[in-house]
Amino acid sequence: MSRNLAFFLWVCLLGLTPFVLAAPNVQMEEPQLIYEEDPSSLVSDFQVVIRTGSAEEPVGKQGLTNIFSELMLRGTKKYDRQKFQSTLEKMGATLTVSVSHDQIVFSGEVIKENTFEFLKLIEEALLHPKFDEKEFNSLKVEVINQIAHIKNSNNRLGGLAIRQELFKGTPIEKPALGTLSSVRKLQMPDVLRAYNSAFFKQNILFAVASPFKESQWKTALKEIWKKFPDGSVKTRRIFEPQIPEGPTLIVIHKAKTSTGVLTFAQKGITAQDPDRYVLGAGNFSFGGEPLVSRLFRTIRGELGWTYAINSGYGAMGSLSYQPGIYTIVSTPSVEFTSKTLFKTLSSWQDYVRNGLRKEELSLAQESLINSYPFEFESAQKRLGQRVYSELYGVPVLTQEEYQKTIDKIGNRDLKKALKDRHTEKGWLMTLVADKDVVAAQLAEEQKGVPYESQLKISKVITPADLIQ
Amino acid sequence: MKSKIIFKYWFLIFSLCGFSFGAPFEKTAEKKLFNGETVKEFKFQNGLKVLMVSRHQAPVLTYQVWFDVGSLNEKMDEKLNRTGLAHLFEHMMFRGTKKYPDGKFDELTSRMGSDKQNATTYYYRTNYFESVPSYQLEKIMELESDRMANLILDGELLEKEKGAVIGEFRRAMDNPGRLAWDELMRLVYTQAPFRFTVLGTEEEIKGFSLEDAQYFYKTFYAPNNCTIIVVGDVKEESLLPLVEKYYGWMKPQEIPKLGIKEEPAQTKERKWEGKHPQATSEILLMAYRIPAATDPDIVPLSLISSHLSNGMEARLRKSLVDTGVAVGASAGISHRPDFFEISISLSEKHTAEEAIKILDREVARLHQSKISKADFERALNQELLSVYGSIGSSNALANMFGEYLMISGNYLRGLEVLEGYKKLDSTDLQKAAKKYFTKENRSIVIVRPSRKGKTA
Repeated sequence: MSRNLAFFLWVCLLGLTPFVLAAPNVQMEEPQLIYEEDPSSLVSDFQVVIRTGSAEEPVGKQGLTNIFSELMLRGTKKYDRQKFQSTLEKMGATLTVSVSHDQIVFSGEVIKENTFEFLKLIEEALLHPKFDEKEFNSLKVEVINQIAHIKNSNNRLGGLAIRQELFKGTPIEKPALGTLSSVRKLQMPDVLRAYNSAFFKQNILFAVASPFKESQWKTALKEIWKKFPDGSVKTRRIFEPQIPEGPTLIVIHKAKTSTGVLTFAQKGITAQDPDRYVLGAGNFSFGGEPLVSRLFRTIRGELGWTYAINSGYGAMGSLSYQPGIYTIVSTPSVEFTSKTLFKTLSSWQDYVRNGLRKEELSLAQESLINSYPFEFESAQKRLGQRVYSELYGVPVLTQEEYQKTIDKIGNRDLKKALKDRHTEKGWLMTLVADKDVVAAQLAEEQKGVPYESQLKISKVITPADLIQ
Repeated sequence: MKSKIIFKYWFLIFSLCGFSFGAPFEKTAEKKLFNGETVKEFKFQNGLKVLMVSRHQAPVLTYQVWFDVGSLNEKMDEKLNRTGLAHLFEHMMFRGTKKYPDGKFDELTSRMGSDKQNATTYYYRTNYFESVPSYQLEKIMELESDRMANLILDGELLEKEKGAVIGEFRRAMDNPGRLAWDELMRLVYTQAPFRFTVLGTEEEIKGFSLEDAQYFYKTFYAPNNCTIIVVGDVKEESLLPLVEKYYGWMKPQEIPKLGIKEEPAQTKERKWEGKHPQATSEILLMAYRIPAATDPDIVPLSLISSHLSNGMEARLRKSLVDTGVAVGASAGISHRPDFFEISISLSEKHTAEEAIKILDREVARLHQSKISKADFERALNQELLSVYGSIGSSNALANMFGEYLMISGNYLRGLEVLEGYKKLDSTDLQKAAKKYFTKENRSIVIVRPSRKGKTA
């Protein structure tokens, strides 16, 4: 192998390699930029991805990443919050931040005429945040109010309970927003430490879709990036979900509801899972695709018990290095909650044993292949695909490659993947509903079943328990 | 090859001659949009309207079918005089035809790779939409036209679908925000049928018969009550012959005129307060009556809503969210029903009364002084960003055209409002605020947690 070829292969490998393999203290000469040019666009879209998330928060400090990231948009050394925000908004721009277990993403959008002015403000926010004490306290109040408000969303309550049970004792048992008590406890020194450990050259990825030339962005971004210090990338923390052996039901008590939110959860998969496409295709026809999936057609279409029912691997957000959660979520009318529960269990049992019927599998395959062009229909979507590929080390498949991958999936592959990745009965289930109504319905539904074999409520919690 | 040439020639004749030589359609307008794209507008002999925007960045297109019928029509119809059927019927449109029985429409559209497929019903319109790979244009048109003309209305399926709709209804009733909205409608409208909900009541939903559904379908799902909007990888010469083939044969119907009673002018403040067992904090909704979407005052009112609601520096955010009084605060314009709405989700320890006091101060500011040049520019550019960002999406552009067409008869009204901003100054905003934001012209709804059912 010639040295040139070896170098070429090494570069290719580097392009596809997940960031975890980048050794600590690697000196970088250029910022990482993923770029999509779209001359027809009237706006520039801009993202800064920091490869640090809430999974790295110390236990008891949940919500810290969210707080310090938000605080970066509330004043810099040069501009106080009002000046910063009004200058930004006056130029026709928005800048927001979102935090997940493994990343912080600053997302901006600006009308194209003001693109490079906007970039100056971003530089201020990223490099010179003020971390003002008054803003910090006011932000804490705002976040605490948001957390308290989660009690109004039954879907979110179901999700919180699942997370809390499956990841108990780990930093990701609570959402990135944190809890009432953890946010109250945060102090300014926590914020400063967290910022300093997250913002360094090797931890930053820029992603841009705009009408301008890539070279203009490269020059401008390098000027910002070179001002960050070098740093060491931390070893990624992965947490295994604790799945119960048999069906386990937790009721989140809400009196007088007329519909329930019923969530089933099992361990999901990672972005790199070799069975990702097989399981994705299977789930499409089992419960993932509204209107045509088996669950939708039977439990809503034929029985009319629920308005919505769907399943998927995205309960923790996009697939990542962290094993996610597979969920089936439905919203049955209150009189059908137990019926929906048992019907979902039996549907799953059939699916996990037998996979899909021929026409169901062909439906998933055709649909996935034919809808694949939508993943690339705009510069923003193309950018999203490339960023995901870079972050999680999964290649962006061409239409041809994707078709080949999906076409070759057989039911035997699916059954094997289901057997390897899932269990028939190991479900954690949460139901947001009136506990007394649920108990009565369970008893009614299991008449004739020996008491010791009956499914019972294993725990009742309140919405307030979940956010403390 | 020969047939293609003949086909193109045939099309050219029709497109040049229009109705006058017996062609099935005429091009009624061709308008340049500010982003350089062109929207073309066609009308077929049976009254069907078609809007088309070509963009070829990706081999996909958005296909939307809009019917000028919603819950207002059923309420005002002598035979029906209830609400809920327009929405229930929208569900039935997925339940099969002779050629494509129950489930087949969903299966085929899914197989063709459709994206964002769904349907919605509102007071004044119903729409069906999906995005598909562009080579599937003919197939999607065949499927959409088939269900528009050949739907089989089956009693058993109707009963099953009622179950799903009742599930949707109950889910909505569990939401305290939903109660607030429904009560606001009843408060603002004493006469006009906006006071009746789109979903209807559970009794109304259960009570609809097969005959009601058949009557509704025959009366309102007609080509002269329908507009097709196609945005994406499509060309005029391939689109129009297909529209003619699949929709041209349909017969127009006599559509009952929607004689809505004019809502009398409001002369004093109205207020409603109630409780919801699922509420954990208070909700405040406030509505000021405003004119219809075509009125010139909509332009300054839209910019006021941006000033109050868009961005971190928006007045409502600063005065209500940053102070910890509310978790969320927004303002916006509703068309059909026409009012300026302010919506506040209170923090647990704060009350709607506190929010009303703050809002009174904000309104007084708008009355007493002109907003600064910087604030004006901020509001304007935030609006531009919002529209620029959304029209890049074919689905969003088609939605904007469809909504404005159904609201005002002018699908470009949204873009006209945007253009109108450039002629405004802060005096216009002050004038509009003084004219409409008065106590006599507002209605207030407060929903509080009911202690008994309070969950935490």
